[in-house]
Amino acid sequence: MITAKGLYKRYRKTVAVDQLSFDVRPGVVTGFLGPNGSGKSTTMRLMLGLDHGGGETLFDGEKFTDIRRPMNKVGALLEAKPFHPTRSARNHLRMLASANGVGEKRIDEVMELVGLGTVKRKKPKGYSLGMAQRLGLAQALLGDPKILLLDEPTNGLDPHGIHWMRDMLKHLASEGRTIFVSSHLLSEMQLMADELVVIGRGNMIFNGDVDQFVRDFTQSTVIVRSPGADGFVPALEGAGAEVAKGKDGELVISGMEIGAVGHLAFTENVELSELSTRSASLEEAFMSATGSSEEFIAAEPVAAGAPAAPAAPSAPATPSGGTENA
Amino acid sequence: MLDALRYEWTRLTTLRSTYWLTGIGVLCALAIPVIAGIAVSDMPLDPESLATGLNGGAAFGIPFLAVFMAIIGIFATGHEYRHGTIQPTLTALPQRSRLILAKILVVSGVTVVVTVLSVALNALAMQLLWGDVPGLFEDPLRSALVGYLAYTLIYTLAGLGLGLLFRGVPSALVVIFLVPLIVENLIFGLSFLPSVDWLVPVVKFLPFSSGARLMAVDLSAMDMGPGMPDFDYFGRWGSGGVFAVFAALIIAAAWTLFKKRDA
Repeated sequence: MITAKGLYKRYRKTVAVDQLSFDVRPGVVTGFLGPNGSGKSTTMRLMLGLDHGGGETLFDGEKFTDIRRPMNKVGALLEAKPFHPTRSARNHLRMLASANGVGEKRIDEVMELVGLGTVKRKKPKGYSLGMAQRLGLAQALLGDPKILLLDEPTNGLDPHGIHWMRDMLKHLASEGRTIFVSSHLLSEMQLMADELVVIGRGNMIFNGDVDQFVRDFTQSTVIVRSPGADGFVPALEGAGAEVAKGKDGELVISGMEIGAVGHLAFTENVELSELSTRSASLEEAFMSATGSSEEFIAAEPVAAGAPAAPAAPSAPATPSGGTENA
Repeated sequence: MLDALRYEWTRLTTLRSTYWLTGIGVLCALAIPVIAGIAVSDMPLDPESLATGLNGGAAFGIPFLAVFMAIIGIFATGHEYRHGTIQPTLTALPQRSRLILAKILVVSGVTVVVTVLSVALNALAMQLLWGDVPGLFEDPLRSALVGYLAYTLIYTLAGLGLGLLFRGVPSALVVIFLVPLIVENLIFGLSFLPSVDWLVPVVKFLPFSSGARLMAVDLSAMDMGPGMPDFDYFGRWGSGGVFAVFAALIIAAAWTLFKKRDA
């Protein structure tokens, strides 16, 4: 169990992490999500006492810097390649193990576990980023800790490696461990995480389970195509729905269930050529949740559409011709 | 604390640079009596030339072993930042003061052992080449050799402190080479000019030059004679104290900042 309370960090004028408080439960994978530069790494460094700032993080009730032989309780993977280039991978682990009373047997065990058994005596300078991430995970697992903190562990891994990492973390969580893993890729979290902590510009945006996140940040909308669409709008608005016009003249209705829309069409005697629901993906939920808090905003390519906003999702480009209304 | 010492020992002994730096330092120091022995082995050995042979010419020109051990000292802290290993180090050993203390103790221990071995090796070489090493355990040679050991140790610790202070290797290397070779020689040279004679009382506080007095056999031989400025030098251990205070100040500053700064 990790309990973070009031984490705070400022660099001169910029507040990098602003009063973040959250719990990370054992037995599930908790994703730590945010756009680039949102303060994920800084938060993790604050939690481990690498950076100094406000707030407190307790790992099973203890502050990290108070734990004797911490690798046996908390495993961490932060930067991608924190190795001396000419010290062999095995010696790198041996060095860290020696500070935590971890035996030689365990070193070979974790190297096999992460698939580096055959290259354990090689120097990390010849390692690819993917291999370095595996060594990083080996380092985190060295003391067989109950808690794992991993910063973007799938960076640089190929699809096979990502799959492997995902299964590994799920397996570790199923053993009752506490797994806190950051990523800026939602698609990855969607497959891996059970719970989410979402931040943007150092502020908490969401803390809860993945489904809740989708529910909170996406709105199911009802799509209506009708030759008499224009005439249907006042009736919909009168019934309390919000109506937006889509690209092809479709009506995008929010705040009303599909059944109610159908019933209203029936009572209003409006002919429908399409009645369907559209729910935004987790990706869209993420975009809508963090859109206003991106640290580095790039210019949009001219032809691209804007990301969907929760209140007024933009219309999907449907391949079908749809019904044009006059 | 034992864990921290074990960690630092493993760190030091799993680096190839530790071995080649120590090796080059010991060999360079050994080269001095060997070359001298081959060239002038019929010359009688006075305490002055004995000391030069035993400490590898450290008091003249470049103190080879001290310089190479100082690089090991710089690497002990500077490497952690250069290669980013400070992050895994602090997640394995988050008690920062314990880490620094372990680094100081292990690097000091290694420096003392290597220096004693180097002097023993040089003594052996001189024994073979001259057939005798007279007065090895008597003053003034004994004091000069103990001074050499202290000098190498303080030099190494200054390197360790600079690596931690600058959080990297290059700037620490620049300081450890530039200060004794250029800055101190410049101040010493300038103090002879009447227009800047206010530099004269400063000279005895120049750390590396003061440290070198630890290794002197005859301290009075280092005075400049009549007509030259009177630098009013401290004695052997006083001068060594100046060097030690210099290293201690660097380490204290680096230690304090290390505790306060983000890793």
